[in-house]
Amino acid sequence: MESASDSRLQAGSASLGQGTREPGPLARQERLAYAILLPVLGTIFVVVTYPLLFAVDQSLRATRGGDFVGLRNYTTALENPLLYEALAATGIYAGIVLPAEILGGLGLALLVHRTVRSARIRMAVYVLATLPIVIPPVAVGVIARLIYAPGYGVLNHLLMLAGLVQAEIPWLSRRETAMLAVASVDVWQWTPFVYLVCFAGLQTVPRESIDAAQVDGATRWTLFSRIELPYLRPLLLLVLFWRLADVLRVFDHIFILTGGGPGATTQLLSVYLYRVAFKFFDTGEAAALAVLVMLAMSLLYAAATRLLPLERD
Amino acid sequence: MRRRRPAQLWHLVAVPVLGAVGLVYAFPLYWLLVTALKGEGELYRITPSLYPLEPTLDAFSSVLVTRGFLGLLENSILVCGATVVIALTIGFTVAYPITRLKVSRRLRLGVLNWALSLRFLPPVAVVVPYFAIVRGLGLYDHPLALILIYTVFNLPFAIWMLKGFLAEIPSEIEEAAFVDGASRWMAFCRVLLPLAAPGILASGVIIFAFAWSEFLFALILTASPRAQTFPVGVQGLVTQFQIIWNDMAAAGALAIAVPLGLMVLARRYVLAGLTFGVIRGQ
Repeated sequence: MESASDSRLQAGSASLGQGTREPGPLARQERLAYAILLPVLGTIFVVVTYPLLFAVDQSLRATRGGDFVGLRNYTTALENPLLYEALAATGIYAGIVLPAEILGGLGLALLVHRTVRSARIRMAVYVLATLPIVIPPVAVGVIARLIYAPGYGVLNHLLMLAGLVQAEIPWLSRRETAMLAVASVDVWQWTPFVYLVCFAGLQTVPRESIDAAQVDGATRWTLFSRIELPYLRPLLLLVLFWRLADVLRVFDHIFILTGGGPGATTQLLSVYLYRVAFKFFDTGEAAALAVLVMLAMSLLYAAATRLLPLERD
Repeated sequence: MRRRRPAQLWHLVAVPVLGAVGLVYAFPLYWLLVTALKGEGELYRITPSLYPLEPTLDAFSSVLVTRGFLGLLENSILVCGATVVIALTIGFTVAYPITRLKVSRRLRLGVLNWALSLRFLPPVAVVVPYFAIVRGLGLYDHPLALILIYTVFNLPFAIWMLKGFLAEIPSEIEEAAFVDGASRWMAFCRVLLPLAAPGILASGVIIFAFAWSEFLFALILTASPRAQTFPVGVQGLVTQFQIIWNDMAAAGALAIAVPLGLMVLARRYVLAGLTFGVIRGQ
């Protein structure tokens, strides 16, 4: 009994270690895998794909009446100047939020990595940094309202208390400050996520390479740019794609904080699409926009999978 | 000596910077709580007080009882709980074969990448067809519609997190059970499932928190307290003509308290799962 179990184990670990293919049991396991996977994945595939096809169909039909109109919804969608305002707003938002979060998260990770030695404090910071990720964006929008709103908003009162401003600043109804207010919410919520990824990445840098570099008299900067940054690069790229996908879907806190205003200043692509679909009820145009957004996302995803070492085993 | 100076600079910067960051995170949460604890009379002072002069739980009872948010809380718990169970079950059926069976690398990577691609599905784009489909199925303003959609959108997390946790359990343990005469199903139930329990717990908490936070689908696919979730209720307090600050803050605080409480309770297990396996907790 014992020797039998030993040989089975050895056979198992050998085939795991070197990938030597015993045709019999291996093929059986792969068959079992397909038998389990196919029904599940098939169902998910249908559930996911059907709405996409449905959207394509919607985008080719008139909103009222449902007649086939070819690409007319697409031309209407693309001729609407509000679309380009929305794209510009999305670009500005991404331009503020992504660098702020990545530089902030990376900077904080380096700071804690370099200065905090106590394992307990490191762990505490780590736990705290996970918390913003699970706070509902709607609730973060509520907090931002309590800070920026005219009247009750506490930021104005703190600034006046400090003697920095004389009168209330209407944060949410001025173009520049409204965008900053909306972006600040994103930075508040997501910088800790970047911190987590960067901090974890820094822990994987082998101690020996750092020591060797220090013996060679490397400065802190070369230490970072030559040794730590290469380790972090794939993670930073992953975070960048991750957050870029999020910027294209950001909706909740803008809806709560400004509703896209003033004017269309903070009307990002997702908020714009929502308005076309559910305020103007122009389903055809909204579906056309939806199809275009999905195409853009597929391109982003394709780029992400090309550039990212997603699975390294 | 020359090499030490920059190190001291880091230390010099560390305390004020980390202190400021701590303040930037603590103060907004403090202000939310303070506002929630204020009575109605305190809301309309010309200069709002930085602490509640007469702390009261009135706003919480007003939100939960008078405004009927207890019902929304029930809806949210039902929807999120069902999403967790279904997403984890499906997640297991996908993660098990690609981690515990000897399958080709191509199959494993194909499944994982496909799951990841689901995560790039933009909700605001699919909500347009979903709205029409859900109405067509008669599921408009019904929790079932949200459960189905939340399950789909949380599957990538479920699959990736479970894959991470399952891959860490040595295959020798299961093989030992086979040698003792256990069937694959018995080994799964008696050996693998208990070992994977912490990972399942972590994945469950995270999926619950994500489903709890979801707002867009809930906003569009529900219309009445019969199916509305908690965040939709919170939003209702925000866009009113005149905002009742303490009620809004109390609702916001409750919306935060639920996922935060879960995270703190399950923090040991959650850490590894949260970043999609990018980070392995210690």
